[in-house]
Amino acid sequence: MVLAAETHWSLQPMKKTVIADKGHPIDFFIAQKLEQEKLDFSPPAHRTTLLRRVCLDLTGLPPSLALTQAFANDPRETAVVYAETVDQLLASPRYGERWAQHWLDVIRWAETVGFETNAERTQAWPYRDWVISALNHDMPYDRFILEQIAGDTVGIDAALGFLLAGPANLAGQIGRDEQAMRSARQDELDEVIRTVSQSLLGLTVGCARCHNHKFDPIHQKDYYGMQAIFAGLQYGHRRLRGQQNDAWTAQVKPTAKKLAALRGQLEAQRLKHGLRPALETIHTEHFQPILAQSVRMKIKATADGQPASLYEFEVWSTDQQNVALASNRAQPSASSFALANQSRHFENLTDGLTDNRQSDPWVAKTVGPAWIRVDLAQAAIIERIVWHRGPSMLADYEIEVLPPGEPTRVEWQRLAHTEDRLPRLDDIRPATDVSLKSLSPAQTENLLLLIATVRDQTTELARLSAGPQVYAASFGAEPPPTWLLRRGNPMQRQEEVAPAIPALLGEIGLQPGSAEPNRRLELVKHLTHRHHPLTARVLVNRIWQHHFGTGLVSTPSDLGRMGESPSHPRLLDWLALEFIAQGWSLKKLHRLIVNSRTYQQSSRPRSQALQVDAETRLLWRFPPRRLEAEAIRDSILFVNAKLNLKMGGPGFDFFNQRGGLSDYSDRETFEEDGWRRMIYAHKVRMQAVDIFGAFDCPDAGQMSPRRSRSITPLQALSLMNSPFVNRQAGFLAQRVKAEGGDNSPAQIDYAFRLVYARAPEKSEKKALLHLAGQHGLEQVCRVLFNSSEFVFIQ
Amino acid sequence: MSLSACLLDRRQFLAGTWQGLSAIALGAMLADEAGATSPKIDPSRPYAPRQPHFSPPAQQVIEVFCSGALSHVDTFDYKPELIRYHGQPLPGQERLISFQGPNGNLTQPLWEFRPRGQCQKMVSDLLPHIGTMADDICFLHSLTNKSNTHGPAENVMNTGFAFDGFPSKGAWINYALGSLGQNLPAFVAIEDPRGMPQSGPNNWAHGFLPAAFQGTPFSSTKPIRHLQPPPDTTHSQNRAAGRTLALLERENQQRFPGDQELAARLASYQLAARMQLSVPEVANLKDEPPHIRRLYGADSSNRAKAAFAENCILARRLVEGGVRFVQIFNGAYASGGRLNWDGHSQLKSQYEVHAQILDQPVAGLLRDLKQRGLLDSTLVVFATEFGRMPMFQVGTYGRDHNPYGFTCWLAGGGVKAGYSYGATDEFGFKAQENVLTPHDFHATILHLLGLDHEALTFYHNGIQRRLTDVHGRVIQEILA
Repeated sequence: MVLAAETHWSLQPMKKTVIADKGHPIDFFIAQKLEQEKLDFSPPAHRTTLLRRVCLDLTGLPPSLALTQAFANDPRETAVVYAETVDQLLASPRYGERWAQHWLDVIRWAETVGFETNAERTQAWPYRDWVISALNHDMPYDRFILEQIAGDTVGIDAALGFLLAGPANLAGQIGRDEQAMRSARQDELDEVIRTVSQSLLGLTVGCARCHNHKFDPIHQKDYYGMQAIFAGLQYGHRRLRGQQNDAWTAQVKPTAKKLAALRGQLEAQRLKHGLRPALETIHTEHFQPILAQSVRMKIKATADGQPASLYEFEVWSTDQQNVALASNRAQPSASSFALANQSRHFENLTDGLTDNRQSDPWVAKTVGPAWIRVDLAQAAIIERIVWHRGPSMLADYEIEVLPPGEPTRVEWQRLAHTEDRLPRLDDIRPATDVSLKSLSPAQTENLLLLIATVRDQTTELARLSAGPQVYAASFGAEPPPTWLLRRGNPMQRQEEVAPAIPALLGEIGLQPGSAEPNRRLELVKHLTHRHHPLTARVLVNRIWQHHFGTGLVSTPSDLGRMGESPSHPRLLDWLALEFIAQGWSLKKLHRLIVNSRTYQQSSRPRSQALQVDAETRLLWRFPPRRLEAEAIRDSILFVNAKLNLKMGGPGFDFFNQRGGLSDYSDRETFEEDGWRRMIYAHKVRMQAVDIFGAFDCPDAGQMSPRRSRSITPLQALSLMNSPFVNRQAGFLAQRVKAEGGDNSPAQIDYAFRLVYARAPEKSEKKALLHLAGQHGLEQVCRVLFNSSEFVFIQ
Repeated sequence: MSLSACLLDRRQFLAGTWQGLSAIALGAMLADEAGATSPKIDPSRPYAPRQPHFSPPAQQVIEVFCSGALSHVDTFDYKPELIRYHGQPLPGQERLISFQGPNGNLTQPLWEFRPRGQCQKMVSDLLPHIGTMADDICFLHSLTNKSNTHGPAENVMNTGFAFDGFPSKGAWINYALGSLGQNLPAFVAIEDPRGMPQSGPNNWAHGFLPAAFQGTPFSSTKPIRHLQPPPDTTHSQNRAAGRTLALLERENQQRFPGDQELAARLASYQLAARMQLSVPEVANLKDEPPHIRRLYGADSSNRAKAAFAENCILARRLVEGGVRFVQIFNGAYASGGRLNWDGHSQLKSQYEVHAQILDQPVAGLLRDLKQRGLLDSTLVVFATEFGRMPMFQVGTYGRDHNPYGFTCWLAGGGVKAGYSYGATDEFGFKAQENVLTPHDFHATILHLLGLDHEALTFYHNGIQRRLTDVHGRVIQEILA
């Protein structure tokens, strides 16, 4: 290993720089580097350019007309007005909506599982809302980390959605062989390790799953040490504590009482009509011992109308043998069996396998009546029959027995039936299909109504008792052991590994048997230590990146050897220390950055500076850049006054379905619900959304700490031709006509102020007046939405 | 024409700096540091043709991908022992549990095999048309996959990784080589007329490469989205809008002299305008003569077959138009084997349907490329995510997933013709001789395009990523 913890910059303690200069500390560091290259700052940006920049940057929306006017006309010094505006923007809920997306990108958060089923995670959205709220409330970053890793210990459940941000295959999509099941578990935990180590530590620990890290001193043992911290983690839902939970909990008792009363009524009805209790899912029919050669079951109906099915059918003799077993040479048969990806054959009835996860059921090919039959190898005296329900539940059947003897001389005799059975709660047949011997049709209907009421109340009680749910990590009290795996192969376990952080970062003193939640709490303690060399550096670098387009380290989730060295190492350290000193406050950090001269420079290129530093890494100007997909869409809606500012809750849909195996089709038209900010769109993994997906929207497959900013003809086609953008252009034209005055020149001026926060140049105005005159104002608005000035932060 | 003539005639690309597409620039810089030779992208012309690492036999690729896992033992991998041991358990694996559960006894191929062509290659009666092209094909019988689940396995075959989010091989090739033409996207993905393949857009995604390199999905039945202006706009409106936009863009450029990103935006509108003309032209199959349509089976009364045949004709036309990588999908999403090759339950009847659709169009494509002299410079790849078991599953009339050994093939573009490489064991259960990984397969495809798979890299999250991860060997033995 080339890199030792002692030498690599990002593992050194953060270095404090004492600044004698009276100016802004950021400008001090930037100026130093500029001087070295004989460069200088650019002049300040124009007032309105600066306003548009900071609005888009902090909130993802352009300034409103009122703000533009107030800002332009305020007689006070720009610095004062500007600082005041920054405070307003940071206080706006729009800030959290904008910056939460940056975090969701890093951890590839989405609301579907990925892979070919891409099934929906319906209750994942509370995590997104938690992030937005945390940012809007300026939750200190150390607390932000604590809640996401160990929110369960402080009553914050939604934050644990962080750990389940990545894709994970559904259980049903995993092979039934041992290797496939172990691999799937390894993959699940791998996603967690990647999420934690890349987003918080800026280290690619995931690279050490199969072998020691090629570039950084991260060993395979470090990987499995991290895995052990999360060994108790389970994917799925957990109770979302909070107000709603308390309200639901308060309803549990009264609902249970109501249900008990209803159940009492049902029991009274059962007794009144002389009905036997309802069928069990593993049901036993007892009868007088009888000599049997064959047994058959005639199935008339299932409770849910699905084809008849059973996992197992057992026939027990008086000497306690299951004589129906195939291993006892009994022969099963059935009216039919379904063809599916797995066996639905009637042989499954008598294979002796009753663990539903490891065996297959018999399923009839079609709905409606069906029969099964077992011919015994030799006649036996039998006394009971046990059947195990399949995917559907039987509701109406008869069981018959055939004694041994000449076929013409023996007859089937009835052993058991359901004609005096109380229907089950899950029986949803219409009353007309239910025949109960002792009841009139009217009585049957009443009984089924009562059953339906009990069913609904039972469901309601279960819902209230479980409480509101969030898709977030849960933890077993006793995590299973973690093993070092040879070459990452789950079938090749080596020594047991204790929960640990990568050795290059120190020790957290846990044992292999350490309990939950200590493992995670120790990790949090480590991460949020004020001397941790990575946590604050990684975070301030991310924030810097979103203000300037590129981080001080341009590889934001990798501060290891394969990552880039910082362009301004002393500035990075100064910011990180300042960030901690200011109580890990993100808003203070934003304020510090955007109030610098560096941030407020003009973005116009200067050819001499371009020659020295074409990428503008030294920040001799503000680097202009294309906006992200979300900001483009939200801005279009905003300038039209169509943006729906509803916050939180389940997302709106870009597709006509939310998850599943078949094609996703794009939703063509949106109304108010679909005009919410794009962060509130239901995020489908691996599916680019129409129009805006082409603007480098991450697909949430791999982590995306930094978006690419490509420029493609599909973007041009989408913005120019899509019905969405053209309809929005129409809305803008309507607004401009309604508010901008009744003549074209005034309307063009007004449109410019809305879209660009400035007045048009003469040449621009002339061209647009011509376009408006010939082809209408809608075309002007369409062109403005397509222009680079609109889709760029300049 | 819809954007504007004005956009097209005054192409002005400003002098190059690395301002635009900074992610690309960064990737390239880091690659240089690592001694790799990543392509240099001109952000205003991301699809400009780029030089390969060395002079290649193949310029372009058409891949036919059979989604759902095509059974090798019923098509190209002839196993006399499987016929002989029909009805008996697989020796040593009597109780094998695979993806869907327990397996039953060995089951002989459901179609007869017979020798085809001069090379006398045994190909089954399921795919007789492809069989007639055996003398042009290089069969690879020893592919393996590390996943036995469709989605991850399709990811592996098309991106090199089982996980979601890695760039597809078409995107890698687009990134490396750009396009040969001026007016079409460099990478086109043609979906099956019956629907999206199982791994969906993963198969043509750009992953962490810039979005410019993703596959553009369209087909004979599904046009490029938003290619044409809204129906309620007029020709002259669209023209005027395009012209005015160009004017605003130039004004803005004057305020930002030397800004490459702005130049690239204008160029992207110009390419979009050219695509509006060229894509409908290339997708208009009406001018294909009847004998060509018949060759592919586009005249079939079987609608799915005719549509798939048209997709194959479209692929040829795209290659003629300079598209670098065309991927044609045969088989749609998971559907119990009804719409793709996932024959678990009733393999015989389902495969009869699918083979009707696949066979003649693919054979027609090979023949047509050959007669036009395109097969020398075009590599045809035929692939699937894994094979199927030599046994039937217990209680079904089909075969379970088999990632241990399966067949893919190559044709044209610098590979040996009428040749077979690698082998599974006597029953077709596991690859045994010259075992191949998808990485080897990918390394070979890149090699045939003049690309060193170890040198084609892109920095992402701490690693110089490659299509072939840290693996892959060029299969030298099959190079012509």
